[in-house]
Amino acid sequence: MLHSATLPPKPPSGLPPLPPGWTEHKAPTGHLYYYNNETKQSTYARPIAQHAFTPQRNPPPIPYHPPSFSGASPGGPYGGNFNPQHQGFPGGHRQGFAGGQHRGRGGHRGGNNFQDRRRHEEDRPKHRYDIPGCKPWVLVKTKLGRRFVHNKDTNESFWKFPGDVMKGVVEFDRVEREKRERRERGEPSEDEDEKMAEVDEFALAATAICAPEKQLRDEMAEDSSEYEEVEVTDDEDENEANPSKRQRTEEPAEGQPIDFTEDDIAYQLAAMGEEYGLDPGEYGNGPEEEWEEGAEGLPLTEEDSKALFRDLLDDYHISPFSTWEKIIEEGHIIEDGRYTVLSSMKLRKECWDEWARDKIQSLKEQREKQEKKDPRIPYMAFLQKHATPKLFWPEFRRKYKKEPEMKDMKLSDKDREKLYREHINRLKLPQATLKSDLTALLKSQPLSVLNRSTSLVALPPALLTDLRFISLQPSTRNPLIETYISTLPPAPDDAAVSAEDDVEMAKKRAERERREKALARREKRVQEEKRRQKRDLEVGKGRLREEEMELQQAMRVGKDGLKSQLGYLEDDNRRASDVGDDQDGSE
Amino acid sequence: MPVYRTGARNKKPPPDGFEDIEDTLLEFANKMKDAENASHEGKKKYEMLWPIFQITHQRSRYIYDLYYEKEAISKTLYDWLLKNNYADANLIAKWKKQGYEKLCCLRCIQTKETNFSSTCICRVPKAQLKDDQTVQCVSCGCRGCSSGD
Repeated sequence: MLHSATLPPKPPSGLPPLPPGWTEHKAPTGHLYYYNNETKQSTYARPIAQHAFTPQRNPPPIPYHPPSFSGASPGGPYGGNFNPQHQGFPGGHRQGFAGGQHRGRGGHRGGNNFQDRRRHEEDRPKHRYDIPGCKPWVLVKTKLGRRFVHNKDTNESFWKFPGDVMKGVVEFDRVEREKRERRERGEPSEDEDEKMAEVDEFALAATAICAPEKQLRDEMAEDSSEYEEVEVTDDEDENEANPSKRQRTEEPAEGQPIDFTEDDIAYQLAAMGEEYGLDPGEYGNGPEEEWEEGAEGLPLTEEDSKALFRDLLDDYHISPFSTWEKIIEEGHIIEDGRYTVLSSMKLRKECWDEWARDKIQSLKEQREKQEKKDPRIPYMAFLQKHATPKLFWPEFRRKYKKEPEMKDMKLSDKDREKLYREHINRLKLPQATLKSDLTALLKSQPLSVLNRSTSLVALPPALLTDLRFISLQPSTRNPLIETYISTLPPAPDDAAVSAEDDVEMAKKRAERERREKALARREKRVQEEKRRQKRDLEVGKGRLREEEMELQQAMRVGKDGLKSQLGYLEDDNRRASDVGDDQDGSE
Repeated sequence: MPVYRTGARNKKPPPDGFEDIEDTLLEFANKMKDAENASHEGKKKYEMLWPIFQITHQRSRYIYDLYYEKEAISKTLYDWLLKNNYADANLIAKWKKQGYEKLCCLRCIQTKETNFSSTCICRVPKAQLKDDQTVQCVSCGCRGCSSGD
């Protein structure tokens, strides 16, 4: 990427030069197109010069500049050990790492830097190894067998290993070689620490990024020749003859440690088993035993799962008056993990029905406890604001017929009219009378509803629905009420009811926490189970592959009979040991 | 000439508890409107009324459940809903009878309207149908509403 920005773009080598006046551009989609400045023509088809001239004209810089590396400090990834031969790739695959870590963005960002990756379209990270002793650094092996180091913390990648990492890599190589030798001898190795899952994810991210530019390859292939050289770092162990020709489906041949043989998988299984603290005999024996063994911790009983589901319904503030179909259609609860604690839709629906019934009952009780909201309160406030002696009732009604207070069906039209007329009549009275009326009203209120702690915004409804209350303007009324309230004694005390409620609430909370813990345990176990199944599958596949290979070998018996086969096997062995020697030599 | 009375001012308000179910009923009403206005292009003639039957069934079931199963609405509200045609009272009356708990529509039990004076195919229990015989009745698109299924 750096490279393409600094070097002047060259005309692609494989294609004939453009005729004069034509320029090459890249569409945002990545397609190349050609534009003639003089005739204002543009075309996807490459125009070809009529006469054989070749003044090496440079097409203008590509207008579409891939932005993906603008954020990376130019000196950063390559730093002091900038190696002009090897540039491009680690940077390009940093995108791969980014994709692996935040997958959401990976695809999008990956689409931008196809220019970089087209040089190594075949190459992509294949395996990642932790380097012992250099924590954030990982060693990444690509499909072509090349290796680079990547810092997980700083997101830096280098072809050339930095000094301190180099030691770690050397150490790593030594361990690897020992492991391989041991494997050849048929002994199990202990410290197999490849993490299959990680590698898978990693490769997956990389392929996801590589996929969209597939169709562009044809156009892009043109200047791939100048970056063709496959570099090899100094301590690269195996020099495969031509690794890019290797098929994915090919069986592991010639001692390449990259491919997973059945042995590898078996070792991983062993490692996994150790991780979970199992005996070697246990992990191969099918999942059922595991399940029962793990299930002794915090079991998820039927009531618990039901209660969890009810918690879920509570948490999402679902209306109990809604329909089940609608809730499912909305699908908010489906994403929650607690949705799956009940195994079938029928059970869920039953649980929902029960929950709704209970919820509605409790709602009803709550409402009974609450005092009924008087429909007159908003109407009174409305009257205070809008009623004038200038309007008769029919006029007033017509003028404000759109207002919700006037449309409210709880209050009949007759009542409304009556209140209006009385209010208008009262407005005509002198202020002194209104004031004395208000004090009389205030005095008539019992101490339990109106006392010193009453605030102006929470006055009792008996006060709010009285005409005497709204006859005075708020500006004169509020000070009056305030002074009256301040003269009142405090409320009679009866607030020792909530202690029992508190205890009950605490109990409920504890119960809920317990259930949630159980759910977490269960989920963990399911994950484990999934991983194990995957591993089993891979073992099975490995075995199948091996059998196929054996079969193929067996089929290869020609006229020479058994002897030739034996010879072939020997050949194999010799080659494997050769590779081992090579590695020794390279150290 | 009588006074022309308009608007809600002379109307009685719906009984208490209507606000709770108002939204869901409104949704049903909207669905019904959509179904009524949906295009008939590419549909068989007898298929055209299926969505109408289905929505009626769903809405009736919703009110039936609220009143009989969940006991969420009062008798007055239930009666008011029936009176205002939010639910089909005759269909609900059938649901209360044994063997008709899941009945899809009243047409499907009208024996007099069929050639062999029998009920609809959707009333036949799954057990008595042939293996992997799928049915969808002509009158309302029901796929089987026998109580045993």
